[in-house]
Formats: sequence, C-alpha cells, structure tokens
Amino acid sequence: MEQLVESLTRGNVSQVKTVLASVVAVLSAYQVFLMAVGYGKVNLPFLKSKAASFTHRATGDVILVITLLVAFMCLVYFEVGDGIEYARDGEQTRATIHVVAGSLLVGMIVLKVIVVRWWHRMSRFLPILGMTVFGLFMVTWFTSAGNYLIGG
Amino acid sequence: MSETPSHSRQVVGSLVVAVLLVVVTVLLVTAKIGPGLDSTEIREREERQEERLEQREERLEERQED
Repeated sequence: MEQLVESLTRGNVSQVKTVLASVVAVLSAYQVFLMAVGYGKVNLPFLKSKAASFTHRATGDVILVITLLVAFMCLVYFEVGDGIEYARDGEQTRATIHVVAGSLLVGMIVLKVIVVRWWHRMSRFLPILGMTVFGLFMVTWFTSAGNYLIGG
Repeated sequence: MSETPSHSRQVVGSLVVAVLLVVVTVLLVTAKIGPGLDSTEIREREERQEERLEQREERLEERQED
C-alpha cells in the first residue's frame, strides 16, 4: 500500500497531500458560505437558498472523497504512531493535534453524512455539525499543510 | 431591478465558483511548493524510507525479545 501511494504521487506524497488538503480547506469555507445562503443568513440577488443547498450537497460529496483519500494516504504512508514519533523536534504537539483533529474530522464527516442521508430526526443539529466539521478542517489544515506552506 | 437567474443557472454558476476556487488553490499551493522531486531526491527519500522500515523492524524484534 505504501508503495502504491508512493508511485501514485511519484514520490511527492507530502506535496500532493498539501495540495489536496488545501483544496478541501478552501472548499469547506465555501461550503459555510453556501449554507449561510441556504439558511437565509446571507441574501444574494443572484443565488437563492435552493440552488445554494444543491451546490453545498454536490461540493460536499467531492470534499468527502478527497478527504477520505488524504486520510488514506496519511494512514498508509505515515501511520498514526510514526507520524507523531518521527515529527521534528518540538513538533510532536503539532503532529498530535493534527492526528487527533484529523481523526475527529473523519468521524464527524461520516456522522454528518449519516444525519443528512438517513438519520433525519437529528437534522436540527446539522448547522452545529457543519460548523464543527469546518473547524476541524481548519485545525487539521493549519497543523499540517498550513504549517508546511506558511512555516516553510 | 435585475432579474434573478433561473435555478439551473444559479447551480451552474455556484459550481463554477467552486471549480475556480479549486483551480486557484492548486495553482497557488503548487507555486509555493515548487517543482516536484527529481530522481536524486526520490532516491534519497527511498533510502530514508528503507532506513525507517529497518528501524521499525528492529524495534519490533526488540519488543518480541523482551
């Protein structure tokens, strides 16, 4: 599996992960905007609630696939324990936060999909679930790709 | 007063914005990261990876011996 990830990314695993994680981070911010329109918190003359909600669902499906792909790459290539253990000196805390936030993120996304598709009784919690997912996206991105891009 | 676009136009427009966001993000991040690894870097990385695997195996053997 490790070799598969290595060959798919042509040896640039971290770089490909950084690009994909940045894409989902930006799209997750766009998702918040779309749902602000969807819930009527933001009124735009050119975008109505129904269309914003439809795009939110479609974009969400794309985000889900990319996020699971990145999570798969993280687990297969870096592994949870090794990711923290082999972090550079003074970076163990960042790596630990990243692992915890990333794991919570995958769990929250799965829960959100379950609520949206099947567990409609819990749909009143969707806004809080969505904001939690967005927050976890930001924490996960800042403690990995963001740190790599901004910190150099 | 301007007329509201049809539902399908709104959907297409908002999806186009999503695609543009993806394109701009990929361009910006790729520009920041720079070109991919050359063959020397890949070889060095493979050596480091092999070293890491060996260390992991050694640790496992040590644990089994304990």
